Amino acid sequence: MGKHEIRLRKQRFTTRGSERFRNYGSVLKQHEEEKRIKVIIKIFTYFLIIAALILIFAVVTRWEQNQDKTANNTSVTINGNPQTK
Amino acid sequence: MTDDEIRKEHDIIEKSKKDPHAFGDIYEKYFDQIFNYILRQTGDDELAGDLCSQTFVNALNNLSRYEFRGFPFSSWLYKVAGNEVNKHYRKHRGKIIFSIEELKVRELMEQTSDDWDEELIERLIQYMNELPTEMIQVLELRFFEDKDFREIAFILDITESGAKMRTYRALDKLRTNFNLKMKYDG
Repeated sequence: MGKHEIRLRKQRFTTRGSERFRNYGSVLKQHEEEKRIKVIIKIFTYFLIIAALILIFAVVTRWEQNQDKTANNTSVTINGNPQTK
Repeated sequence: MTDDEIRKEHDIIEKSKKDPHAFGDIYEKYFDQIFNYILRQTGDDELAGDLCSQTFVNALNNLSRYEFRGFPFSSWLYKVAGNEVNKHYRKHRGKIIFSIEELKVRELMEQTSDDWDEELIERLIQYMNELPTEMIQVLELRFFEDKDFREIAFILDITESGAKMRTYRALDKLRTNFNLKMKYDG
């Protein structure tokens, strides 16, 4: 046997038969819901990206400040006598 | 479908991109067609109803991405429906069921064989169960949905020559094994 199976059906589903599945109202409702979820996910993603950028900026700024501080506190050795700047 | 009808449909689609309520006309027009297409690939009317609804929801969700390529809008819906059916089978890992109408099979047999009987239909179906699923999909769109090769290629995301080749190979096998006079129409 293959990956499929063919079965014979007595008749084609008529408009009357498929009527109970026809409901544009619920399709529209589901679409609105999925659209809303999409918007929320988008906003959340933007928020995460902005938060990450702010975090990176803060880390870099702090690192730069630390670098400056370290440079200021570095002792300079002149003729073998350590001197603090 | 005439050019005028295609243009009219295109206007509704453009309107639907801004106002989803306008899409209701398209839904009413194609619901039965898409429902039957899905039912033919699932054999379960409840499941076909669910997948059909999801097809229209997905179509609405992605309407802004739709581009007119010279086909009726229904071709795009067939494509979305096909993806939905594939997704279902991938998720449930079940055997793909092709549930085809007995009446249509008899009609096809009338056209292609002079002396067919129930036993021949049974043997034919058994044989088709052994063919690759891709071939059955093409045959379904060609003989049950009356689609041309360009449209089949668009729906199944294959090349036009690929669609022709699959049909030709399948028909060749059926002709050889069952002496059917099926037209290729390529």
